[in-house]
Amino acid sequence: MAKKTRARRRARQAARRSLWRWLWALLFVGVVVLAGYVGYLDYRITAQFEGKRWALPAHVYARPLELYPGMALEPARLTEELEALKYHSVPSPSSPASYSFGRDVVQIVTRPFMFWDKNEPSQNFRLRFDQNRVADIVDEASGTPLSLVRLDPALIGGIYPSHNEDRVLVKYDEVPQLLIKSLIVIEDRHFNGHIGVDPRAITRAMLANVKARDIVQGGSTLTQQLVKNYFLTSDQTLSRKLNEAIMALLLEWHYDKKEILESYLNEVYLGQDTHRAIHGFGLASHFYFEKPLEKLEPHEVALLVALVKGPSYYDPRRHGDRALTRRNVVLEVMAEQGVISEAERMRARARPLGVSASARSGITTFPAFLDLVRRDLRRDYREADLTSEGLRIFTTLDPRVQRVVEAKVVQHIEKLERQRGLAAKTLETAVIVTTTDDGEILAIVGGRDPRYAGFNRALDGVRQVGSLIKPAVYLTALHKGTGYTLATLLDDQPMLVEAAPDQMWRPRNYDGIFRGSVPLHVALAQSYNVPTARLGMAIGVDKVVATLHRLGIDRDIKAYPSLLLGANVLTPIEVAQMYQTFAARGFRAPLRAVRAVMLPDGTPVKRYALTVEQAFEPEPVYLVNSMLNEVVRNGTGMALSWMLPEGLVTAGKTGTTDDYRDSWFAGFSDNRLAVVWVGNDENRPVGLTGASGALPLWGDIMRNIDAEPFDLTPPEGIERVPIDSASGLRGGFGCDNVVELPFIAGTAPQTLAPCADGDVTRSLDRTINFLKGVFE
Amino acid sequence: MDSYKRFSRRLIVGQISVLISGCAAIPLSQSPSVPERFPPVEERSRADVPVEDRGSAIAPAPEVTALQRPGPAVVALLDDAAARERQGDYDTSIAVLERAVRIEPRNALVWHRLARVNLQHGDAAQAEAMAKKSTQFAGNDARLQAANWRLIASARRQRADLKGADAADGQAVILESPRR
Repeated sequence: MAKKTRARRRARQAARRSLWRWLWALLFVGVVVLAGYVGYLDYRITAQFEGKRWALPAHVYARPLELYPGMALEPARLTEELEALKYHSVPSPSSPASYSFGRDVVQIVTRPFMFWDKNEPSQNFRLRFDQNRVADIVDEASGTPLSLVRLDPALIGGIYPSHNEDRVLVKYDEVPQLLIKSLIVIEDRHFNGHIGVDPRAITRAMLANVKARDIVQGGSTLTQQLVKNYFLTSDQTLSRKLNEAIMALLLEWHYDKKEILESYLNEVYLGQDTHRAIHGFGLASHFYFEKPLEKLEPHEVALLVALVKGPSYYDPRRHGDRALTRRNVVLEVMAEQGVISEAERMRARARPLGVSASARSGITTFPAFLDLVRRDLRRDYREADLTSEGLRIFTTLDPRVQRVVEAKVVQHIEKLERQRGLAAKTLETAVIVTTTDDGEILAIVGGRDPRYAGFNRALDGVRQVGSLIKPAVYLTALHKGTGYTLATLLDDQPMLVEAAPDQMWRPRNYDGIFRGSVPLHVALAQSYNVPTARLGMAIGVDKVVATLHRLGIDRDIKAYPSLLLGANVLTPIEVAQMYQTFAARGFRAPLRAVRAVMLPDGTPVKRYALTVEQAFEPEPVYLVNSMLNEVVRNGTGMALSWMLPEGLVTAGKTGTTDDYRDSWFAGFSDNRLAVVWVGNDENRPVGLTGASGALPLWGDIMRNIDAEPFDLTPPEGIERVPIDSASGLRGGFGCDNVVELPFIAGTAPQTLAPCADGDVTRSLDRTINFLKGVFE
Repeated sequence: MDSYKRFSRRLIVGQISVLISGCAAIPLSQSPSVPERFPPVEERSRADVPVEDRGSAIAPAPEVTALQRPGPAVVALLDDAAARERQGDYDTSIAVLERAVRIEPRNALVWHRLARVNLQHGDAAQAEAMAKKSTQFAGNDARLQAANWRLIASARRQRADLKGADAADGQAVILESPRR
């Protein structure tokens, strides 16, 4: 019996022992798993904390304005530039970013700025105007003349990560103590004492909320809120809360209070600007008040702190009443806790919200241009670098030219619709403006609403180009050794071309008239289709395709005969590249939007250098350019001659496609090139020719962007010879219709026209009659 | 008809004015003097840098004639670019010269300098293209044109195009001959 009980006892003990063993094992596994889990959370939170700490979007700058004696500059334009740079007009400027305008003189103190090639210190100088030119610039302190001053460039936007976050990073020491104290008394009163979570806070918060009959305090600590901000999911499950709490404890274990608070100040979500999330107090200050954090007054600080609770519910722009009530509650707590005095509270309480009307800071106002910059940079940088390294991107955008283009686009498109009786919003447009010799893109508009960041027609609008293609046909024909000159008579009789097997093509002129024969230069100036098609067929469509590629078009182009009249498609930016080569007299310069990229500390990363290539000899290009000038003097673009100021010589080409679906004008002055497209997104006829739709907009832009007259001085190797239009032969006194045309030396016809005979008396008579006719 | 008349009138008036101005023409190259602070790099005489011996050697830049004498802003930039060039910082030198191009895009001298720095930077193709571009704006300034051809010759030698280099040197010799 005793044996039995002993055995049973022993068995029970053994069972108990094994149970304990099991429990210990389980506990051990549990601890290991928990430790692993905590380790995992630790890894996540520290990676997030370190990674987010310095994640900065790339900042994109416009071209800086350079000021120098002799420069053409209207005083009003300089004011405009300074205002756009947020320089302040003050009676006597002494601190950076201030100026004062006097009569014909302006004193400016520039902001220091780190450029690619040089660090520009702040400069205090006096600039004197002589009419609309800069007469001289002198240093304010020393009185020495300055030959060149470069202003800081305007920030035109940023490149943000996919979830479109933007921020203006602030350092702990730059943040006003008032903000920090207010934030702590409202959101986490024991921040400086707790270890990441604060059980007392929950109780206190509940009491405070009941007392104020509003939610004036939350239960989570700032550390917990920071963790929550890092992992932006909105589910409020218990396990998530637990994770948050563990991560908060870990953060506090790794980092000190200052570091955590600094991250919080830069991380907290404070508003929404359409697609852009506003994170951090630094950006919020600009977003709501258009000034930096350190310039905020108590009522403004209170509003920002108030927004932490619910940026969209208390959105001061949409729900002003709610925001005001909440702000005043915050002010009350601030006074109660001694952050501000009662008198300060009363003063702040009396103030309105004070938010600026529009929300414009950092986000681009020039979406079409930024789109191009982003595409260019994506070729060379990973998305993550663009959106987190705080790169400084220097671009070619000229804000003034851009604004002119935008204003003219809005004005002309609406006017065209009214004049043509088109339904509102029928027309769309795209404009691109560049410099000529160095191919810098000054302005881009991608649609009728320049602020709308949608379909970018300047880059993606592939449209038939119509007659814009013709200069390529004529350039091919005028190469040395082809036998064609500007005087060559081209056949203008009905023709039938086999465009593709079993597909006949019968080109017609715009007016339906066949003129028998026309001089080559007239065929281009008047944009006659039949002689152009005949010319193209004679020299070979494949040769024209080769010319187009040399002109800078990379797209695959099929050598169909209909190409000769522009049945192929191009985008406005491709057209701009094609015409740039003409404008630069045969020297192709790839169009550029980005000049250089720099790290935030000023280290250069990459420069996008100017490159040129001589794609064509100067002589044939000169011949085509003189015809493109004829287009605007007395060809299809003649309307420009009364739109543009006298003396502004330009060269260009109209383009119209079948059934008036697309209206184009492409052309240039000496220093400016512009391409304008007007049409309809559904490719429906809009009833506009190149001359009636795109041309007036082109002209209105060109006369407002400091265009200088195109220099038609012929290159060496060009001679001018009088030609009888009727015969295409050398004209002389005696001929009624003589034009002087440029020829590549040695290619002008040697034979005299029949009208220019040698009889001296008869020609003298005719000469006198001719002169009478001219001067009558 | 009207436009034809207008054109003829312009033509005749134009021809008359050409005649008049032809009589009164003043040679452009009489007035110029070289600014003193003009980049010392250019003061190297050709004897110091025998073009034939060194592929990367570059002919000295020509004197500045009235045609391409730059304004003070561009002069300042050319000075700055030359200083960078001396330090061997070709990239920045090019960046500075590009600023000069923006201010005076049709200044033959600026393009010549760009060509030179590009050549020193090892981009012979750009150097040749920019030298040609310079010549396009050089008007009848034979010295600058010759300097551009010398530069093109160096660029071609750098790319082992000896025949092309000789041809370019030939062009330079013609332009440098005193009878021109």
